[in-house]
Amino acid sequence: MAEKFDLNDREVWDGNYAASQALRQAQVDVVVAYPITPSTPIVENYGAYVANGYIDGEFVMVESEHAAMSGCIGASAAGGRVSTATSSQGFALMAEVLYQASGMRLPIVLNVVNRALASPLNVRGDHSDMYLGRDAGWIQMGAFNAQEAYDLALCAFKVAENHSVRLPVMVHQDGFITSHTAQNVYPLMDDVAYDFIGDIVPVDDMLDFSRPVTYGAQTEEDWHFEHKARQHKAIMDSTGVIDNAFEEFEKLTGRKYNRVESYNMEDADVAIIALGTTVETAVVAAKRLRESEGVKAGVVAIRCFRPFPYEEVREALKNVKSIAVTDRSSPGGAMGAFFNEVSAAMYTSESRPLVTNFIYGLGGRDFSIDEAIRIFKEQQAHADAGHITTEIQQFSGLRGPHLGFFKTARS
Amino acid sequence: MQDLKLKANDNRGMSQLEAGFDLLGWDEVTQGSVLPSFDGDASDIVNKKAEERTYSGFNSYTATVASWRVNKPVFNIDVCIDCQNCWVWCPDSSILSRDKQMLGIDYDHCKGCEVCVEVCPTNPKSLLMFNEHTDLEVALSEWPEKKKKEK
Amino acid sequence: MVEIRWHSRAGQGAVSGAKGLGDVVATTGKEVQAFALYGSAKRGAALRAYNRIDDEVIFNHAKFMYPDFVLVIDPALALSDNITVNDKPETKYIITTHLTKEELIASIPDLHDKADRVFVVDCIQISLDTIKRSMPNAPMLGAFVKISGMFELDYFLENMKRVLQKFPQKIIDANMDAITRAYNEVN
Repeated sequence: MAEKFDLNDREVWDGNYAASQALRQAQVDVVVAYPITPSTPIVENYGAYVANGYIDGEFVMVESEHAAMSGCIGASAAGGRVSTATSSQGFALMAEVLYQASGMRLPIVLNVVNRALASPLNVRGDHSDMYLGRDAGWIQMGAFNAQEAYDLALCAFKVAENHSVRLPVMVHQDGFITSHTAQNVYPLMDDVAYDFIGDIVPVDDMLDFSRPVTYGAQTEEDWHFEHKARQHKAIMDSTGVIDNAFEEFEKLTGRKYNRVESYNMEDADVAIIALGTTVETAVVAAKRLRESEGVKAGVVAIRCFRPFPYEEVREALKNVKSIAVTDRSSPGGAMGAFFNEVSAAMYTSESRPLVTNFIYGLGGRDFSIDEAIRIFKEQQAHADAGHITTEIQQFSGLRGPHLGFFKTARS
Repeated sequence: MQDLKLKANDNRGMSQLEAGFDLLGWDEVTQGSVLPSFDGDASDIVNKKAEERTYSGFNSYTATVASWRVNKPVFNIDVCIDCQNCWVWCPDSSILSRDKQMLGIDYDHCKGCEVCVEVCPTNPKSLLMFNEHTDLEVALSEWPEKKKKEK
Repeated sequence: MVEIRWHSRAGQGAVSGAKGLGDVVATTGKEVQAFALYGSAKRGAALRAYNRIDDEVIFNHAKFMYPDFVLVIDPALALSDNITVNDKPETKYIITTHLTKEELIASIPDLHDKADRVFVVDCIQISLDTIKRSMPNAPMLGAFVKISGMFELDYFLENMKRVLQKFPQKIIDANMDAITRAYNEVN
């Protein structure tokens, strides 16, 4: 039996510590890890909890992130509650195995502390790694602060291990901006947190010797497509379980999460739609702009990046005239991926609002309230003109001459 | 001809891999392409011989690849010394052996690769390749004599 | 909202100082943020750490701020770093130095018109005397408690003891001495 850990109702934790406490409270059976900045403390703390008797589990140190996720797959297939953490290059090295985890329908929870991908080498936060995983068949949840990194990690186990879902879940938090920022966090007591998740009830577990199973079967063109289709259906259908988990969590804590979050959107003419910590900074900017200049600004945020909430995004933005979609990842020869998703959602709306794309914050470049205000004002100018007056894609917060691409053909 | 169902249970080699029947839709395939090896409780399966096991339809035991074979190995029990070399080397677990006694070939899974013949140390060999349609008696009657060492 | 910017070198404890301050402030029921601009920084490299304190949940995640307090815990950075960047007319400066306030201000042109908002304390010497090594973060907290008037000294000391509870008693006592001395000596 695990030792009791003393917790206060109110703690001052950074995002990493918060996530590691969630792993402790979930009593994760196995963490297989190859630590990498800025996610290191999550698995480091798990190791310490195991060593000090606070978790009845196993910390396995391996030789690469590829091996880390492979080990997680083995432990999860064996029937355990399994988690790990990574960032950036580590995430990239894990990429091949991420698809195996989702394909085998293993409920692993991966804490991703978002960090830029080299080159040039950079340890700070952007969403390059998160985007790299977006087709991997994992549910992807986004935390905007340390409290949410904790809350969503708890919810992630509940969703992943649900028998109608049985899919791995990533919980993303912004490197340093969330992971290394200490703030007030209001944790659940241990038994409450554990009861919220419940015991893991394994499916097809390899340690069930009464029913030996094969994992990792080979399927060629006569079977592969059907398996991938079933997997896609499962992630598309996971929304109900995610919503239920969020509702149950609200009953326990009063903290309500939605797959799409809206702030000041009731009467908004212009909106920023964002991921991660940028959301909260943009919310402050929207409030300020409403007070100072009467611009009806609002913010829409994606809590659940996969499965992508097309209907909820369309609903949240249907009355807006101009939208700035903010991508914190170098798009590499295209519009931002998030811009493409939002555009797809809005193209089939009645209103077909103007949609623009900002590439910002790469390598941890600061996103300030003033810049958010400038972006809102530019959306207002598009709305007043009735068409996009700038390039559709622009870089925000960049030094040097203005950089933008692709112009509208609507007038 | 050796008994084609030597030491076989009811469903050994009953399905054809090439046949293309039973191709299920996306809503019917197993979750995560995880495949159970046996039907029912398999707790004691390790203590059972193959012919007593309840292999599931997902297990290759129940499929046949006999048609992949052009020539077949024939086993001559009179020459065999039960060294188990063929059992060790066979890549398809098609050598049937019990208590270290060689019994014959699993013709549902043998692909006719000839490895067993190659590794057989006896003189003459206790396993030799014959045309698929050759009868056992004919094959045995054509078995070569012991070769003498050339001086 | 109160915003604080720390100027420090990696290894001097600005990050721990900011987190410790946040921890104590949170016990008063306020919402806090403590973060830093570092990462692959090596010991001795200049870094900035930040605090935000508010009655409501803090949404702003930008590093950019107009600080209410600037805390400089490395004497050389007061001269070499741009400590007055983005300041406000009421921004208060607490700077660690062995110089007198007049000598320090005379050597930093940016502070000439802010003399009434500059406070000095020798955090390095205080930490050498009490903690027995150069660890200027704890003394700076004492000076901040005095200048900000945010807490009673005793309340702050009691809560810092809780923050430091994983350390040996000797180290906790030394930190309490350092905080108290800086509280009394800052001017």
